[in-house]
Amino acid sequence: MTTSGNTAATGRAGQAPVLAASEIRVVRAGSAIVAVDRFELPERTTHVLLGPNGAGKSTFLRVLNGLERATGRIWFDGREIASGRDRRALRRATAAVFQRSHLLATSVRANVEMGLRARGVRGEEAHARALRAMELVGVEHLAERGRDKLSGGEAQRVSVARALAIEPRVLFMDEPMASLDPPTRRSLLADLRSVIADLSIAVVWVTHDRDEAVAVADAVTFLSGGQVRQTGPAGDVFQRPRTTEIAHFLGLELYIDGEVVLDRGEARLVLADGTSIVCGEAEPGPSVGCLYPEDVVLFRQPPEEGSTSLRNIRKGTVTSIETLGRVRQVTVACGVLTLVATVTQAAVAELKLEVGSPVFAGFKASALHVLPRPPRRT
Amino acid sequence: MGQIWEGFEEALRLLFSGDAEVYQIALRSLWVSTLALTIAAVIGVPLGAALAQIRFWGRGGVVSLVNTGMGVPPVVVGLFVGLLLARNGPFGDLRLLYSNQAMVIAQLVIALPIVVGLSMAAIQHLDEGLRMQIVALGAGRLRTFWLLLREARITLMAALMVAYGALLSEVGAVQVVGGNIRGQTQVLTTGIVERMRSGQQATAIALGIILMLLVLGVLGGMTIIQQRSRRT
Repeated sequence: MTTSGNTAATGRAGQAPVLAASEIRVVRAGSAIVAVDRFELPERTTHVLLGPNGAGKSTFLRVLNGLERATGRIWFDGREIASGRDRRALRRATAAVFQRSHLLATSVRANVEMGLRARGVRGEEAHARALRAMELVGVEHLAERGRDKLSGGEAQRVSVARALAIEPRVLFMDEPMASLDPPTRRSLLADLRSVIADLSIAVVWVTHDRDEAVAVADAVTFLSGGQVRQTGPAGDVFQRPRTTEIAHFLGLELYIDGEVVLDRGEARLVLADGTSIVCGEAEPGPSVGCLYPEDVVLFRQPPEEGSTSLRNIRKGTVTSIETLGRVRQVTVACGVLTLVATVTQAAVAELKLEVGSPVFAGFKASALHVLPRPPRRT
Repeated sequence: MGQIWEGFEEALRLLFSGDAEVYQIALRSLWVSTLALTIAAVIGVPLGAALAQIRFWGRGGVVSLVNTGMGVPPVVVGLFVGLLLARNGPFGDLRLLYSNQAMVIAQLVIALPIVVGLSMAAIQHLDEGLRMQIVALGAGRLRTFWLLLREARITLMAALMVAYGALLSEVGAVQVVGGNIRGQTQVLTTGIVERMRSGQQATAIALGIILMLLVLGVLGGMTIIQQRSRRT
């Protein structure tokens, strides 16, 4: 997976995107549930449509797949999709996997061959291609099994095999992991990453899960309320979210209000009490700094000068320790600044942390993501 | 009590001696209802499936009509079909009243709403996402339609069984449009009515037993086919 140096969202110079769309609008009951001005999917790129539930991601995916009609223009392989016949041709050149596996009540093999049969591929060739697709996702041993005898993860793998069997030009994934339990999700995600890389196909992948997006995305478009809020190479979006809404969605839990000033070429976020935090890059002005809790490091004793690359270290008091899955989330009050750190249970024990403990919290200047402060709602 | 027992003995004798009239009546029942059901299935299943999927103006009205049709008493169906086929009725020239064809037509009118209504429910009951998935895999209209029917086959089979059972045991419509003419349009149900009225209780019981066996046999056989189709 390339996450940097890839200008996926804008298209590589000289290379026509396999799928492109402009001025897409889907209007229901008078309001636009999708309003995307521009979208491009270059070959061999996984473009993740990320956003909260109800953001219009799935609807936009169905428009791109020719399943749903919308106003606007869509090009596939440089040709504009204009008629119902074109949409059918688009559907036949692509394949989709949805949140639910939607297998037919027949054998795994027959399911995987279904898309091939719809394209007039039968007999030996269909068998061979179905087998290859099943091998790609490791379900060939289930070939003769009935739908009802599959686990959720197996069924979803079969659904992926069915999509891959037709050797699609574009693979559409609509929340393909959302109904799976975490271990199943992790193993399928890992397999899908390598399959997508091996086949070097173009993928449009809808998810509301940040970790899933991080795992697969070359490019990311963040949608909310049907609108594109940010689009670009995955690294850019994850490292430089443009709004607090995106930052919050990406898990940048913590918000620090302040004013960015430039001090001898270095950006500093000045807090309400006059103290300041060293930032990476930031524009001067009223700002909000945010941090991933996993970027905050805790110490029992202040680290020695020069022993760490953390530019920002503050003394504080633990105010709460919460269990969050397998990790602990420790909240530390440092004067006007409240920091949240995600640490392991072992670290909590080693540092002898409990509510009321004095502790030092630190983070790198580059870990602080600084956004212009949104206008206050009244 | 003795009278009933004698009736049973006589009935068994009639059954095992291969009484020509009894078997002729049974065959006519089977033939009329099977033909009516087959036509109802050929027209009704696609119609129900189409009704489940296609949105058009007035669809609500059609659906209400179908659902109401499922509850119309057979004797009322017989009455209307009879009026249409009567000598002075609009189709009187066809001279179909009191014929086997008339009974098939009346039973078709009874079966059609049942088959259409239950097929519609069977297809509507399928996940909407399944249809989208099939279309997304590149299937055309006909293939999508066929795959959905296949997916709903167990429920569709149940719809046909309900209709078949209703037709075999229905008495009102065949009585009115068939006329219950001995040797011509008499079927098992109307046969029982007539024999009871004329004191031939043994024959009535024999016909009753055959009717029961027929319904059990036919529906049992369909059940086996239905349940076997699950295991694929």
